[in-house]
Amino acid sequence: MTATTGTARRRLRVAQGVLPYLLSLPALLACIGILIPFGTAVYYSLQRFRLSQPWNRGMNWGDNYIAFLGDPGFWNTLRISLTYAFLTVGLELVLGLGIALLLQRRTRINNAVSIMLLMPLMTAPALAALMFKLMTNPNFGILSYVAGLLGFPDMRWGASPSTALLTVVMVDIWVYTPFMMILLLAGLRSLPSQPFEAAALDGVPRWQQFWRITLPMLMPYILTASLFRLLDSIQQFDIIYAMTQGGPGDTLMVFQVEAYLTFFQSTNVGRSAALLIILWAITFVLSNIFIKNWLRLRARARGVS
Amino acid sequence: MDHRSLLERWLRGIALALVVVFFMFPILWIVLMSLQTNETILRSPPSVVFTPTLQNYAALISGRLETEAGALDIAFMSNLMNSVILSVGSVALALVLGVPAAYAFARHRFRGSEDIAFTLLSFRFAPPLLVLLPLTLYFQDLGLADTYFGLIWVYQLICLPLILWIVRGYFEDISPDIELAYRIAGHSWWATFRRIALPLAGPGIAAAGLLAFIFAWNNFIFALVLASADKQPVTVGALAFVTASGIQYGQIAAAVVLSIAPTLALALWAQRYLVEGLSLGAVKG
Amino acid sequence: MTTLRIENLTRRFSGQTVLRDVSLEVPSGSTLVLFGPSGAGKTVLLRLIAGALEPDAGRILIGGRDMAGVPPEERGVGMAFQNFALFPHMSAFDNIAAPLVARGVPGARVREAVEAVARLLKIDHVLAHPPRALSNGQKQRTALARALVAEPALLLLDDPLRNVDAKLRFEMRLELPRLLSGRGATVVHVTQDYREAMALGDRIAVLDEGRIMQEGSPADIYLRPATIGIAQLFGDPAVNLLDVVPAADEGVHVALSGRRLSLDPGYAHAAGRACVLGLRPEAIGFAPDPAAPDAVPVTVEAETPLNEKIVTLVVTAGGREILVSRPLGTPGPAMGPAAIRIDSARALLFDRATGRRIAPGRSAPAEAAA
Repeated sequence: MTATTGTARRRLRVAQGVLPYLLSLPALLACIGILIPFGTAVYYSLQRFRLSQPWNRGMNWGDNYIAFLGDPGFWNTLRISLTYAFLTVGLELVLGLGIALLLQRRTRINNAVSIMLLMPLMTAPALAALMFKLMTNPNFGILSYVAGLLGFPDMRWGASPSTALLTVVMVDIWVYTPFMMILLLAGLRSLPSQPFEAAALDGVPRWQQFWRITLPMLMPYILTASLFRLLDSIQQFDIIYAMTQGGPGDTLMVFQVEAYLTFFQSTNVGRSAALLIILWAITFVLSNIFIKNWLRLRARARGVS
Repeated sequence: MDHRSLLERWLRGIALALVVVFFMFPILWIVLMSLQTNETILRSPPSVVFTPTLQNYAALISGRLETEAGALDIAFMSNLMNSVILSVGSVALALVLGVPAAYAFARHRFRGSEDIAFTLLSFRFAPPLLVLLPLTLYFQDLGLADTYFGLIWVYQLICLPLILWIVRGYFEDISPDIELAYRIAGHSWWATFRRIALPLAGPGIAAAGLLAFIFAWNNFIFALVLASADKQPVTVGALAFVTASGIQYGQIAAAVVLSIAPTLALALWAQRYLVEGLSLGAVKG
Repeated sequence: MTTLRIENLTRRFSGQTVLRDVSLEVPSGSTLVLFGPSGAGKTVLLRLIAGALEPDAGRILIGGRDMAGVPPEERGVGMAFQNFALFPHMSAFDNIAAPLVARGVPGARVREAVEAVARLLKIDHVLAHPPRALSNGQKQRTALARALVAEPALLLLDDPLRNVDAKLRFEMRLELPRLLSGRGATVVHVTQDYREAMALGDRIAVLDEGRIMQEGSPADIYLRPATIGIAQLFGDPAVNLLDVVPAADEGVHVALSGRRLSLDPGYAHAAGRACVLGLRPEAIGFAPDPAAPDAVPVTVEAETPLNEKIVTLVVTAGGREILVSRPLGTPGPAMGPAAIRIDSARALLFDRATGRRIAPGRSAPAEAAA
């Protein structure tokens, strides 16, 4: 009798140890399903592989990558992607911080405005691009009309190489500045008030308080929000594809747009995969820095609550 | 705080007004546009004086677009339906997969748990095309190419990390002693999970679910690459609609309004959870 | 009846041993207090008994039944937590009723039982409230009621009085034995408060660094502490410790400020060893006549009231600081020169090298285990 209860109990004990694995197994499987295509992409990137020339397919190891060195298209892509990412994140940081400072006090108007600002952020970026496309339509677009009034009668926005970047950056700012603002506002409102009271007692001017107290204390939030945005922005696809499909010409050929067109238009799977692996390497480095910052901030947010 | 000068208050007011105009105007303008006929839209200079009409919405909802060139069928309502199916399906699947996993990660420090959690998180930051392009080829072979399920599965790339990390934080906030107390009272592990852990993490689960819904709804690239014409959500459909309908600007505007209305409404409704969700729990709202 | 037996229990957390070969027995119906500083392993031991953790080695037997692999819900124990661990989304009533609901008790009997235990604990008027609407004292009573309501044969109390204010703690210290005695339950009570340990325990087990340092009745532990560490943990103000080397000519004695303090002749075997003399503050009094042979001259430096006592800090000619306590309201010396008299029958002697107590031998100077 003791023997049978013994085994029954051992089984129960095993079940307790396996429980966490059982619970996470379904998510794990979904995870593995996604890791397989990742492996495939690495494999493709090492191949000579055009959908239009199935007979010519074969391993060429690093050739796709080596070809980038002498490929002006690749350097253009890298330059545009980095320009776009740093331009958008930089502008959104400055604007977001400015708006957060404007809204810092909890008044009814400020709360209403900060809720209002959620709306652009919750708009699908592709649809936001479509909205701005309508607004910059040369025939009836309100922005084209305003540009005309301001002395730019032939402003062609996304259709002209000289203003295309400006146009998509504007859409990006419209959609994502509220993200910066919301995170920084939450950060600002969570700062302790004692240092500010002490500074006010010491007669430190408010402008200096900002540089000496607010900004350093807000730094973890600024870093986390900026890295988060940088990770997204360097991979921007929706806005640019919906607005100009990377054009005009190759003005806005950022990584993912270039890879998409290389895959579907040039059907060059090998080159497309290699482009994406390089983009992945960049995001991998960034995301490691980001996760470290984010974990620290998250631990603090959980600890305080 | 009362030592602000009159000048400063004025400047602040003007700045705030500019902010509101810049961020609200596009939405207002598109709504106004959706209530106009092509005739008034094309007026120059633009004017806010017009007789509002619902004919654009009527055309979209009935699915028939009458133009001088003849009648045109528009699939926009089916796009809207696809968006609902894909978003609801993805969130449901992500909750079923993600909530138990989040609980396991929160309560049991088992071997490899952190690695798995971080792998899932890193999906959030990897370029989606990296996974999508090989998948287009696999989906043909697997017969998933023209199915909702295939898309819903790929949507887990966005929904699962979100649910996992937000809900995990909420589970971690529940004292393990509360669950132990319920078990000592004589309840099984399963009963404790259902009657203690789930209700206490309920607000977090709801918030994460809502946010996952919004992100799934707003997604563009997944469906652009993988969805066949009859499975396309609004984001892809609206873009195709621009090309198909040519110069029917009023209808395009109405389509955009219908497409963004659900997420905006949800966001306003659940706004107090959004901050925490957007930062994956790094910043408390 | 339910006896709790713990045999050679060991538990490690990521390479660190938090419990080391712990063995205990709690006879049916008695109360064992687990006492020790924080981090000693008390809470881990309690969670092992409750089934929240499994031991790495050793056995737990409740009523003779081996608990290996038995989940918490099948161990038939009741437990009250230091942080109360009330279910925040349920009313006080539902909190208390949870153990009965799990056992499938019909609704009417649940109501009856919950109301009975709530009356006993004086919380019957707040049963409809959620935990957040309860005061700390009410929360703690609700947690106790929940632990008691199903009449568990083994009751685990994890420092339940820790998070309530001093007045409530004092009340509950008096009330708990009355609540528990009627039920015949076997109780394991964890605390960091030596007064609570002495008031509530039939026996006390002192835990430190994952080991049982001493187990015995409250009087045993107070009067015959096994080590210097335990002597310091029990008593407030803490025991005075003085480095001495006993000498054995004309009886055993130690030197203190040039005076000879005679010790029990049974300590003869400790003569010549480096020792620590432990003197409880209440075993020292002031000598009315400084010239008396047993009086030690000192200087009174400071005086402070502590609860129902007055504590005086005195310094000997050799610079040693000694605390003396006397009941509130009894006369004491003025600041400056005075003399103390030590009740050497109550002195404790420890080996300086090992920290263990040296027991006085009866006749022959034989080494006695502490």
